[in-house]
Amino acid sequence: MNFARQFKEGLITNNPVLVQVLGMCSTMAITTSFFNGIGMGVAVTIILTLSNIIISAIRKLVPDKIRIAMFIVVIAGFVTMVDLLLQAFVPALSESLGVFIPLIVVNCIILGRAESFSYKNGVAASAVDGICQGIGYTLVLMVMCIVRELLGAGTFGGGILGAGGILEGGALGAGKGIRIIPEQFPIGVLTLPVGGFIVLACLIAAMQWALARPKKEKEESKS
Amino acid sequence: MSTEAQTKEKVQMDPKYIITLTVTLCVTCIIVAGLLGLVNLVTKDPIAAINKEKTEAAMREVVADPDGSTFSDALELTDEMTAAASGAGATLTEAYGVTVGGEAGGYALKIDTSGSQGTITMMVGVDADGTVTGVSIVKNSETSGIGSKVMNNEIVKATGVHVLDQFKGKSAADGTLSVGSNIDAISGATVSSRGVTTGVNAALAVAGVLG
Repeated sequence: MNFARQFKEGLITNNPVLVQVLGMCSTMAITTSFFNGIGMGVAVTIILTLSNIIISAIRKLVPDKIRIAMFIVVIAGFVTMVDLLLQAFVPALSESLGVFIPLIVVNCIILGRAESFSYKNGVAASAVDGICQGIGYTLVLMVMCIVRELLGAGTFGGGILGAGGILEGGALGAGKGIRIIPEQFPIGVLTLPVGGFIVLACLIAAMQWALARPKKEKEESKS
Repeated sequence: MSTEAQTKEKVQMDPKYIITLTVTLCVTCIIVAGLLGLVNLVTKDPIAAINKEKTEAAMREVVADPDGSTFSDALELTDEMTAAASGAGATLTEAYGVTVGGEAGGYALKIDTSGSQGTITMMVGVDADGTVTGVSIVKNSETSGIGSKVMNNEIVKATGVHVLDQFKGKSAADGTLSVGSNIDAISGATVSSRGVTTGVNAALAVAGVLG
């Protein structure tokens, strides 16, 4: 087990969103405000870590033929728990993420990591994998949120900062964000689903370019 | 057909193996269900309290006297009420009695109507005389920047009145409300404005039945 390597994989070389291209549905749908991005990222990280731990712990007891069914039962269990807890204790987040919390059940990142990592590795390594992949997912969400919110709505930190936000004693999720671009200038289309595709495509392209570059240089130096 | 059967791998039908599979899945499901039951036990009450609070807050927005009003539990929906709403083109989902200062003060009605991007859930307050006291949007998925202007109760530029406030004071005596004749739409958001208008018509129809 190599923590540093796993961390680098989760964040960069094997980033769940930008390299594995998993979990697109939630990435596209909820990245409209900073608060949503952090909330979704944390929820997925927690569920991913827990389900990785459990699946890795029971991996020797699970008959191979029904492993997918077992994964789904475990994942659905955790998602429902998190959903209920959010509804009860963080209603603002639950409301703004809406149906995308229950939909974490079918978020391919979680099933994908269960199948490709925690089913084959030990509990500790799986826990670390869950945290690293979760952080990788959260970071991408936050970058998308910041870009889409800034260019699409002209604000920063929506839901947390700004008028009515927690710094001014308001409720979580109530903040309007700090206005950076005057109201008439933002590109409204970026807050719509189509804007999600555009921003994500740019991010993936940038990531692939960044990942491909060192290899190219090496090849060039060889020749 | 026969070639398909041949190419298919023969499944091992060892009874013991099948029983192991069944038992493992069954036990897992039971454990998970048990844990969910525990979580539900803890979260049930806070969730119910939050939902009640949300509904009450939405109702307070639409009554004439927010601080002096109390609300009944959800009324039972009769066929007559739902028929009145669907006759006007929308669906009645919940109805609450409003009490102001100890006297019956009308109703708060939760209505589902269709907008441009899906269902708009709205709360309409109607006083004892059958006059609309307020309209608020509970839930919607209207296009951000266009239909959302109606949902956020923005000002209609032509008249300088907030779009949802136009409905205040309207009653069955005004006839069927429609965009263009007695209701002004926000330009570009005609469909959303129409949806809300239909919802208010439905509320008035239901209030007519309730008396």
